[in-house]
Amino acid sequence: MSNQKNTTPSRGTISQGASSAAPAPRSGGRLVGLSHLGKDRRVVLLGLIVLALVVMSLISPYFLNTANLLTLLQYSAVIGVLALGQSLVILGGGGGIDLSIGSTLSLCSVSFGLLSVNGGISPWLAALITLGVGAVLGLINGVFITLLRLPPLIVTLGTLYLYASAAMVLANGVDINGFDRDGFSTIGQTSVLGVPFQVLMVLIPLFLFGAFVMRRTIFGRQVYATGSNAHAASLAGINVRRIRISLYMIASTLAAVGAIITASWLLNARPAAGTGFELQAITIAVLGGTAITGGVGKLSGTFLALILVAILNSGMQLAGIGSTYQIGLLGLVLIGSMLMRPRGATQATTV
Amino acid sequence: MTTTLSQPSASPDTKRQDGSSRVTLLRAIHAVQVWLLPVLLVMEFVVFSFLSPFFLTVQNLTNVAVNAADLALIAAGLTLVILMGGIDVSTGFAVGMLSWVVASLMNAGQPPIVVFLAALAGGVVVGLINGLLTARLAIPSIVATLGTSALFQTGLFALWNSRDIFSTPVFPFLSGGARIGDLPVLVLIVLAVYLVLHAVLTQTKFGRSIYAIGSNVEAAKLAGINVRRVRVACSIILGVLVGVAACTYLARVGVVQASSGGELTMLAIASVVVGGTSILGGEGSVLRTLGGVLFIIVLDNGIVLAGVPSLWNGLIVGVVILVAVSINGLAVLINARKDRTL
Repeated sequence: MSNQKNTTPSRGTISQGASSAAPAPRSGGRLVGLSHLGKDRRVVLLGLIVLALVVMSLISPYFLNTANLLTLLQYSAVIGVLALGQSLVILGGGGGIDLSIGSTLSLCSVSFGLLSVNGGISPWLAALITLGVGAVLGLINGVFITLLRLPPLIVTLGTLYLYASAAMVLANGVDINGFDRDGFSTIGQTSVLGVPFQVLMVLIPLFLFGAFVMRRTIFGRQVYATGSNAHAASLAGINVRRIRISLYMIASTLAAVGAIITASWLLNARPAAGTGFELQAITIAVLGGTAITGGVGKLSGTFLALILVAILNSGMQLAGIGSTYQIGLLGLVLIGSMLMRPRGATQATTV
Repeated sequence: MTTTLSQPSASPDTKRQDGSSRVTLLRAIHAVQVWLLPVLLVMEFVVFSFLSPFFLTVQNLTNVAVNAADLALIAAGLTLVILMGGIDVSTGFAVGMLSWVVASLMNAGQPPIVVFLAALAGGVVVGLINGLLTARLAIPSIVATLGTSALFQTGLFALWNSRDIFSTPVFPFLSGGARIGDLPVLVLIVLAVYLVLHAVLTQTKFGRSIYAIGSNVEAAKLAGINVRRVRVACSIILGVLVGVAACTYLARVGVVQASSGGELTMLAIASVVVGGTSILGGEGSVLRTLGGVLFIIVLDNGIVLAGVPSLWNGLIVGVVILVAVSINGLAVLINARKDRTL
């Protein structure tokens, strides 16, 4: 284990993996200054968060209002669990990416709705089964990707269609309502200590648990090893396929969590609930310092990126700017965050 | 299907035998890769002509071909980018944004040729943006184009500004009305684009360098290929085709709305991949992409004619992508296993 610890990056965005050991390109030269400043992506993100807070509260006097900050957190819970899963899949390397994560959320929403309304079982039991549905959808992705060695981009593109359309077909194109029983709305509509339930009891525990697993457990170190150099990892006795399959399963199960939160929050299950969420999840993961080539990144970075994006979205909402403009801002932030990379990372990701 | 599936079980035996059976197996795998798409296409035609008497009529098939023009143009350009190991997920909204420009110029009464040139220029700008981000600033193409896709989507939304714009086609023939014999002029133009790109890929130094970059970037660099320039050039070619596609899209749909064109992104990628061009680069051709486009657009049309509810469309397209890619992947996998034993 101690060997693996040395090969995993411990200093944010400076990649130490074998893949980035190649000589630095000339174009990276003018980014050197930034790379010193941005040695730890999390410092940069913290600075940006403070900046965004200041700017937003200048634009709108209502921004720093407690109620607003809480709604902001409420919205970010769903995107947050998706970004967590996306970060893990990307960390696992091998071109790992999950474009189907939004569709998975949609399909899980619908299966939850059907189970609890048409199936007539308790919403809590339905939620539990939905987690299983999520895991199976992830297993499908993982099996195609690892056993048939197909590019994750293509497989998850295919399942993006498949799951979204399956959700539409199963729900017959309409929303499913009527599962507000047995106190199911607790997850999405109550607060604990003034903090929305889904943030304090779901989002934050999941991130803490994830960070613990990635840092302190064998599985976590194996993920980093696999992402940095799959060949070396498999020579070191790591079952690369099993690691990657489990990552896709975790990501999809987290999408199911997102579906359950959404259902409890809005009290309806929409067949298009997750459309477009994959872009947001990928953006937050990459913005948080996760290298798209795998093996480099931290969940704490993803969490800070989530806060930043949530602040930006909410600020724009308060300023009366529509949600489509938020997508554009997200795109800008995504590209901007890639330009802030240190030169090592630039070299590693030329494809 | 069955031949592919039976091969893994046969492999332990062939390992012990002499080279001849191995060669046979390799040949079989190669045959699967080459013939998969044509066989699927023929199957598609047979099945759909049984399901709907209207399917195999000249009118339906020319309609299908005309409606496929924008998808075919994007997929042709996208093939070049994918051949180099890149990807572009911004094409759909780029088409949407440019078609807004085209529609408003038409409504402003500009001469068609000016509008068309403006569409091309807009396409060049789109290609240049993507090309510079990926080739010069070395942002992974999936990340960069996800970003630009979001920007184009927002750009279209801002330009649209809650007003749908209706417009006549830039040139009358773009709507498929003008014909030579039974063939619409538009279809002939699309075919010409494919033939030119095929010639460029197979007959020119530029074309060969695209394959070289896709196979091995480092080797291509060492061989003296200006990788960045080729990459940017391919992005610009894709951009120009996106510009043309914006014109044919407008001619087909007739109106620009808030999220026009968005559906084309994934369909274009699916066409290239179903055609058999490797998403990892270095292997494939535009003619295969043409087969992929045909397959997907005929599937779309046949499903509707067969009376399947449109909700099922994505389901079937998704399954087809996965099955086609899996068969190809299986063939490659067996091939690689054989290579190791050689």
